[in-house]
Amino acid sequence: MNFFGTIFSYIRETYVDRLSYFPSNIKISLMIILFCAIAIVELYIYIIFRRVIKANQNKQTKYWKERIGNMLASVVVYDESENTAEIAVHFYDKLKKLPLKNSTVNQILTSEIITYHKNFTGKIPEVLALLYAKLKLDKRSKKKIDSKHWETKIEGIREANEMGISEMAEEIIKYTDDENGLLRMEAQAAYLKLSNKDPFHFLDRAQERILDWHQLVLFEIITKNKKLTIPSFSKWLRSPNDTVVMFCLKLIDHFMQFDAAEEVQRLLKHHNTRIVKKSIEIIGKLELEELEKHMFEIYFDHTDEIKLEILNSLGKISSGKYADFLSSRIHSNDSKIKRAALYAIKRDADHGEARLLEIYHHTSPENQALITHVLDNRIKQ
Amino acid sequence: MSKILIAEDEVLMLKALEFKLKKDGYQVDVAADGRQAMEKVKNETYDLILTDIMMPFVGGMEILSYVKNDPIKKHTPVLLISAVGLENIVLEGFSLGADDFIYKPFNLNELSVRIKRYVKQNAF
Repeated sequence: MNFFGTIFSYIRETYVDRLSYFPSNIKISLMIILFCAIAIVELYIYIIFRRVIKANQNKQTKYWKERIGNMLASVVVYDESENTAEIAVHFYDKLKKLPLKNSTVNQILTSEIITYHKNFTGKIPEVLALLYAKLKLDKRSKKKIDSKHWETKIEGIREANEMGISEMAEEIIKYTDDENGLLRMEAQAAYLKLSNKDPFHFLDRAQERILDWHQLVLFEIITKNKKLTIPSFSKWLRSPNDTVVMFCLKLIDHFMQFDAAEEVQRLLKHHNTRIVKKSIEIIGKLELEELEKHMFEIYFDHTDEIKLEILNSLGKISSGKYADFLSSRIHSNDSKIKRAALYAIKRDADHGEARLLEIYHHTSPENQALITHVLDNRIKQ
Repeated sequence: MSKILIAEDEVLMLKALEFKLKKDGYQVDVAADGRQAMEKVKNETYDLILTDIMMPFVGGMEILSYVKNDPIKKHTPVLLISAVGLENIVLEGFSLGADDFIYKPFNLNELSVRIKRYVKQNAF
């Protein structure tokens, strides 16, 4: 009898002939061993089965990637002198023969179209957008947007955004205030690009924070997209969401929206010091002389950080109305305040330097050294 | 027939460029990463090298630097492809001797015309 035969007959003997004679603890142990052995065998079968399926899927994916890649490369290098619609029709007939109901094929085709759409300019993206619509791949993107999983939603939003499917803007708006930050950001960025009616509508409904890094992304989209009609951002300065106010202030600053002066003035009394500081900065940058007195009114109620910003802005406006106030700052105990005030005086091109020299003759040696420093044109503020 | 090397790690882009340049009548050699590209550059002679800047193992800048420091290959035009147009990268590329910079997204026909010009110049 061979080795395996001996083992098998021993197991059979143990479990069939002798089992009933064993004490109950041995019986239980033998049953547990039997259960584990069966479980291990099943597990192995399952693993092998999964691996076969996976290998088959990989083979399929590789095949379709190669085939679809070649087809799309032919679209990309097709004679550009032809009409866009004609090229799309020509390739549509070939691409529609693909088994698009197969999710792998559909996904490969979508992602490859998007890759080419992203990397090329000229007629290629137009042809690809037409093919994307004709092959109804947008339906799948829409399905993804409606998915339960946030990462799938993001995928769908990205696809719609890249392919410029403006009909999906109304689907996407509901995620622009989602509690998931990543989904919210993708949705806001996509909505800005896709909405033809009111691309900034998401600001009206934003209750969740627009994070700083997210503001940078949106800022870049808004400032670089030449097709966007820029609204007056002052209408969102009353938003209860501080991050919306801050974001709009940055945009007002960038687009130099003078019509926002009245609303910016109101923000000088805002509870959020970052907003107050940004408002002061804008007043200085836009040289809103009529708001000088409002900055002066709040000067003594704030921290040094805000005071420095006010001095800086007063310097930028240089109306001369607050020259005495600025001169009196030389008596401050804080050297940063003194320095900021002296630079603000210097900014007055007509009388600044003369005023500094006048202060110089009536102040302490320490302050004189500071004035000499400020008057030295080689040193930048 | 002019021989061109395309080094690009994005398979789809590599395929499109290969299709286009073959269609334009060039003999095309491809490399899917920087290491492969460097090996090919060392062992073969090309009339033009089109390389992506960001690639695994060896970057486009290193390939450019190798070509431009080789006494025999230094006249080979090298065109860099980049998705980012950062000033310092562009300056570094040109200071190493890059002949041109192509930013993604780009027009394939425009690229084709540029390549034609460089290959022609190099032939004389």
